[in-house]
Amino acid sequence: MNYVEWLRIRNCLRVVAIILAIFVLLAVVLRVSVARYMSPDAWIEHFHDPGTTVSHVVLPDGTKRTILDNAAEQTHVVIDDRGQQGKHIVVTEPTARAHTDTKHVNVGSIQVQESRHGSLTTTTIDTNGSVPMLYYMAFADLFAIVIGTFLAAPLAREIDGHLEVSLTKPVSRARFAVGAIGIDVLGILGTSLLTVVALYICQLLFETPSLDFSGINARAIAMGIASPLAWYALLCALTTWLNRSWIGVLAAALPIAGVVGILTLLPTQNVIALFIHDTAWVISRLNPLSYVSMAVPSDDGTVSYRPDNFGLRFTLEVMFFVVYGAIAVWRWQRVEA
Amino acid sequence: MNDITISHLRKVYGTTVAVDDVSLEIPSASVFGVLGPNGAGKTTTFKCLLGLARPTSGTILFGGKPLEPATFERIAYVPERSVLYDWMTVAEHVEMTRRAFTSFDHKRAHELLGMFHIDPRRRVRVLSKGMKTAVMVALAFARNAEILVLDEPTGGLDPINQRHVLSLMINEAAKGNSVVFSSHQIGQVERAAEQIAVIDCGRLVLEGLVDDLKGDRKIVEGIFPDTTFTLDGIANDARVARSDRTERILRLMVTAGANDIAAKLTAAGAMGVRVLDLNLEDIFLYAVSPATATTDIVAKGTTS
Repeated sequence: MNYVEWLRIRNCLRVVAIILAIFVLLAVVLRVSVARYMSPDAWIEHFHDPGTTVSHVVLPDGTKRTILDNAAEQTHVVIDDRGQQGKHIVVTEPTARAHTDTKHVNVGSIQVQESRHGSLTTTTIDTNGSVPMLYYMAFADLFAIVIGTFLAAPLAREIDGHLEVSLTKPVSRARFAVGAIGIDVLGILGTSLLTVVALYICQLLFETPSLDFSGINARAIAMGIASPLAWYALLCALTTWLNRSWIGVLAAALPIAGVVGILTLLPTQNVIALFIHDTAWVISRLNPLSYVSMAVPSDDGTVSYRPDNFGLRFTLEVMFFVVYGAIAVWRWQRVEA
Repeated sequence: MNDITISHLRKVYGTTVAVDDVSLEIPSASVFGVLGPNGAGKTTTFKCLLGLARPTSGTILFGGKPLEPATFERIAYVPERSVLYDWMTVAEHVEMTRRAFTSFDHKRAHELLGMFHIDPRRRVRVLSKGMKTAVMVALAFARNAEILVLDEPTGGLDPINQRHVLSLMINEAAKGNSVVFSSHQIGQVERAAEQIAVIDCGRLVLEGLVDDLKGDRKIVEGIFPDTTFTLDGIANDARVARSDRTERILRLMVTAGANDIAAKLTAAGAMGVRVLDLNLEDIFLYAVSPATATTDIVAKGTTS
C-alpha cells in the first residue's frame, strides 16, 4: 500500500550510499597514501638514530616484534606489529624527556597509557583498542537526522496533489499513515546502519576495529536511534498540519532548531535577554534534539559522561516519537481532498 | 439493482454550498453521465462519493452499504487533474497499482498503455497533460473494478484517444460494471451515457435516461399576429415546463404532448407554429441556463 514511500526510501538510501561510498573512497586514497608509513620499518628508517640498535623477531603467534634500544639515551622501544590487529608499542625512556600531559588518552582506537617508575617512564601505545560506538553513532545520528528531515513529510506530500491516489486504496487512513511512517522509520534506521558500516569499512582499511558497546556507548546507540526518529515525528506532525507548506517546514526546521538552541544559551543579564532565553528554552523543550547530549555538566564546570537522566531523556525521545506520530496520523484522518 | 445510491447529499465549505441536496440512483451495468457548468459541484459530488471529502449531510451507499476501505477494491477513480507522481515512471505507477489492488491486471495495463502510445519507462514529468490522463485511464481500466468513477476522463486527449476512452466505458458497462463520468463535451456524454444527471450551482436540476429526455422534450414555438394574444391557460398546462414570451413570439418548453400543445397554439390564433427537437446539448443548456437556451435553439432553427 505504501509503495511510493518505499520508492522514496530507496532513492534516499541510494543517495546516502553514494555519499558514504565517496567517504570510503577517500579513506582508500588516504590508506594508499600512508601505506609506506604504516610499518615500523618505515618509522625506523625515518627516525633512525646512529646509536640505536634494531632487532627483529617473529613471535609464535605471527607478531612481528621490532626492538629498538639506545643505551646512550636510555631509551627502549618494543613494537609488536600484529597486522590488521594493530600495533602494541611500549616506550621506556627517562622521565625527564617524557611528555607530561599524556597520562591516559583515548582517541578512537588509539589508547595511550603512561606510568612512571622512578627516573623512567613507560608509555604504552595500543593502536587497536576498542573503539567507542559513541563516535560511530555521532556520525550515524547526523546522517539520520538529515535524512529524517528530508523524509518527514510522507503524508503532506500525499496531501499536496496525490490524495486521490492514497485515499482510494483499500486500506484505512490510519493504516496507510502508520505504514508510511513505519517505512520512513526503516529508512532512517537504514541510514544509521549504512553510516556505521561505512565507518567500519573506513577503519577496517587501517586495522580491524574492536567496537565497544558498553556503558555510554550503549546509551549513545539508544539515543542515536531514538532522537532522529523523534525529530522525524515532530516534523511529520508539523508538515501534516501545515500540508502545502511542507517544503518550507523541512527547509527551515534544522536552522530554526539551531537558532532556538543558541538563544537558550543567551546570558540573562537584562529583562529582554531573560525573556528571549526563557521563551527559547520553553520552545526547545518540545524539540527532541534538545535531549540528545550525552555529556552531563558538573557543578565544578567540568563535563562527564555519567548516565544521569539518561532514562528520562530516552523515555522523552520515545514519547515524542509516539505523540508526534499520533498527531500526524490523527490529522491525516481528517484531511479532505 | 443500483450500484450507488446518493441520498440528499449536501457539502458546505465555509459559507459556500458546493453540493445541495443531490440524490441520485446509479444503476449497475450502465454508463451514467454527470453534466454541469464549471464549479457546478460535479467534482465535489465525486469526492463525497469516494470519501475524499466528508459530506455535510446525506448518505452514500455502494450496493446498499456505506463506503469502507475494502470497497475501494471495487472502485476505480480517475480524477479530473493529474494526481500521478512526477518523479516516478509510468511502470512504477503500474507497479504501485498492482500492489494496492488484488484484481489489477498487469498485462491489461500495458496493453492499454500501448493503445495510448505511452512508453512505461518514461517519467511522468515528461508526459503531456493528455498522456497523464491516458495513464490514469489505463490504470483505472486495468483494475477490473465494478464501479468506475471518471472525472473528465478525456481531458487533454486527442480525438482518437477520446474515442478509445468512450469505447472502454461502453465495454465496461457491457461487462456489467457501472461507469459514472463527467464531461464538458456533451457529444461524448450523448454517445456513451444511457442516463445523465445535470448539476448546476450544487443542485440536481435534471436527471433521466438520455433517450427519454430527448424523446419527450421539445420546444413549441408560435408566432402571433400581434402582441395582445392570450394563451387561454396553455402556459399552465402541466406538460409545459417553461414559457418565454417575446413580443409576438411564444416559446414553450414541453415535456410531453408537443403536437397537442402545438394544436392548442394554433387554436389560440398563432399564425405559424413549429415543433423543435432538442438534442442533449439543448437539454443541458436549458437545464442550466433556460433563457439563453431557448433563444439559442430558435436561432439555430432546427425545425422538424
